[in-house]
Amino acid sequence: MSLTTEALAAMVRDDSVHKRVYTDPEIFALEMERIYGQAWIYVGHESQVKKTGDYHTTRIGDQDVIMVRAADGKVHVVYNRCPHKGAKVVPDGDGCTGKFFRCPYHAWTFKLDGSHLSLPLKNGLEGTCYDPANPDFSMKAVARVDSYRGFVFASQSAEGPDLKTFLGGVASSIDNLCERSPVGEVEVAGGTFRVMQKSNWKVFYENLHDTMHARVTHESSFVAAREEAKEIGEMPFELLIMDGNGEPYEFWEKLELRAYHNGHGYMEAIFDPAAATRDPVSREHFAVLTEAYGEEKARQIMGMNRHNTIIYGSGSPHTVFQQFRVIRPISVDRTMIEIQTFRLKGAPDAVFDRALTYANLINSPSSNVMPDDVEVYKRCQEGNQTRGGDWVSLHRYLGTDKETPDGMVSTNGTSELPMRNQFAAWKQYMLNPAKTPTQADNKEADRAAA
Amino acid sequence: MQLLDRSFDVSTTPVAGATLSLEAIRGVEQFLFREARLLDERKFAEWLALWTEDGRYWVPRFHDQANPFEQISLFWEDKMLREVRVRRVENARNWSQQPLTRSAHLVGNITIEGLDAAGHLIVRSTLQLTEWRIDQRQLAGSVFHKLAATEDGGWKIVLKRVNLVNCDDVFANLEVFI
Repeated sequence: MSLTTEALAAMVRDDSVHKRVYTDPEIFALEMERIYGQAWIYVGHESQVKKTGDYHTTRIGDQDVIMVRAADGKVHVVYNRCPHKGAKVVPDGDGCTGKFFRCPYHAWTFKLDGSHLSLPLKNGLEGTCYDPANPDFSMKAVARVDSYRGFVFASQSAEGPDLKTFLGGVASSIDNLCERSPVGEVEVAGGTFRVMQKSNWKVFYENLHDTMHARVTHESSFVAAREEAKEIGEMPFELLIMDGNGEPYEFWEKLELRAYHNGHGYMEAIFDPAAATRDPVSREHFAVLTEAYGEEKARQIMGMNRHNTIIYGSGSPHTVFQQFRVIRPISVDRTMIEIQTFRLKGAPDAVFDRALTYANLINSPSSNVMPDDVEVYKRCQEGNQTRGGDWVSLHRYLGTDKETPDGMVSTNGTSELPMRNQFAAWKQYMLNPAKTPTQADNKEADRAAA
Repeated sequence: MQLLDRSFDVSTTPVAGATLSLEAIRGVEQFLFREARLLDERKFAEWLALWTEDGRYWVPRFHDQANPFEQISLFWEDKMLREVRVRRVENARNWSQQPLTRSAHLVGNITIEGLDAAGHLIVRSTLQLTEWRIDQRQLAGSVFHKLAATEDGGWKIVLKRVNLVNCDDVFANLEVFI
């Protein structure tokens, strides 16, 4: 079956998706073009490239790119490829390249925006089309780069909505993450984890707002946390953040799931961090925010208690504990998660301590919670390769979600609205190779999904 | 939180020398071999009993990481968290431990480094660890144990620090102790 527009459209129904979207390498290749080739994708935070020449390598879909700080203070994103023989100009990771890029193969040099600077023995190119102004002799810049409150996104397409329009309602999560700092700024700090999952990238996005899996998949860790809490006679923060998954179904039904255009959304928080035994961190944090913003605004900032946020294609910020799980598709059945932790500038040190503890316990490769998720994702990947059926169900609370001006909201917290919303966006991208979906297209998709 | 107690001495650089009899050195070596064997045999209850009340298990995320307080760690666990890990991997509904992680620790190059400020014995060894759960992987690194002498002439672990050669790598889950 070839991947015609009709065939792709038929893979996403209102209430289910064809399993092929998770298992077919050809679809993965098309996703790299049509989703990662168009959408705004998070490449990193400005704080990762503080000084001129500082760079951070990352990937936009299947493309290796470099985020770099230039002498004019601007952040640029260029493909990691020398135009001469194609070598990656910098190795993977973070570093400082100084005032310019210099390819280690034949010493072609480039300004920090990728434009051609020089090469040795120029007389050898006399009589050819060589010209420093000819883009064929420069490192290629990614089509569009923009930043929202320090979060740098890039789009490989020159067309499509601007970053703010693309983010829509989900920008409120980035706002809240920043406002938790009394000066409104955050920085990546403490290091990043990288974890490999043997499953398709979309499964992870779906699971982020899948409230029906928590008490089933995570039984081993929430039971372990509860047994331990019982034995030591208290529920400290470290155990509280594992215990939450064990809430009964009635609890999850009452949570709110918000879906925004372009596949984005968030789910309401599972637990209140201030509920931990003898946890003075939230009180201390609140006092600092009250001083900076006044009590009413501080209450509003801390009261915006969200669990996972989804920025579709980029990953999942966690505002309350200052994390960003960046989701990088590697192949149809491999996904790498890069976990960043943020320091809230000007906030009490204890708030960063708590973010580090959350990263170590929940998002580290040694997490007691994550392995059971990773195991079920892998089982989906393998099960979907059998002939045991073709469709993956998204039926829960279909048709009950309510429309809002900027998306949709669940009427029951166990709704599969987030997955339907993600696939509405997926379909828009995959059927429209020329451009990113617009607000109007999404409204239509929302209605179709409902 | 005990984990954030910055007064805990994570340094593995000796401040004084240690003079041990050959018999005592043999005892330390046997202690390290036995510790590794308890992990390989998944005798976790016995393994947990090897630790002091406030002992810490640390696998840094960075080479030469100064402490676990300013940066993330692959593992940073006190008694409570070690117990939680054991409870989880022994739970009947531990989906990601079906099949179980199997391991073979090879401990060698054991050297007595000296004493820390509190008089704990600092011991360095090299670890080669083969782990299998569906896929096989090889982990390796240097291990520092800080040991407290017990009244009956044995040892308890105050700190176990594992410096993995690939601590900055991409990892599949690390479910059991290294």
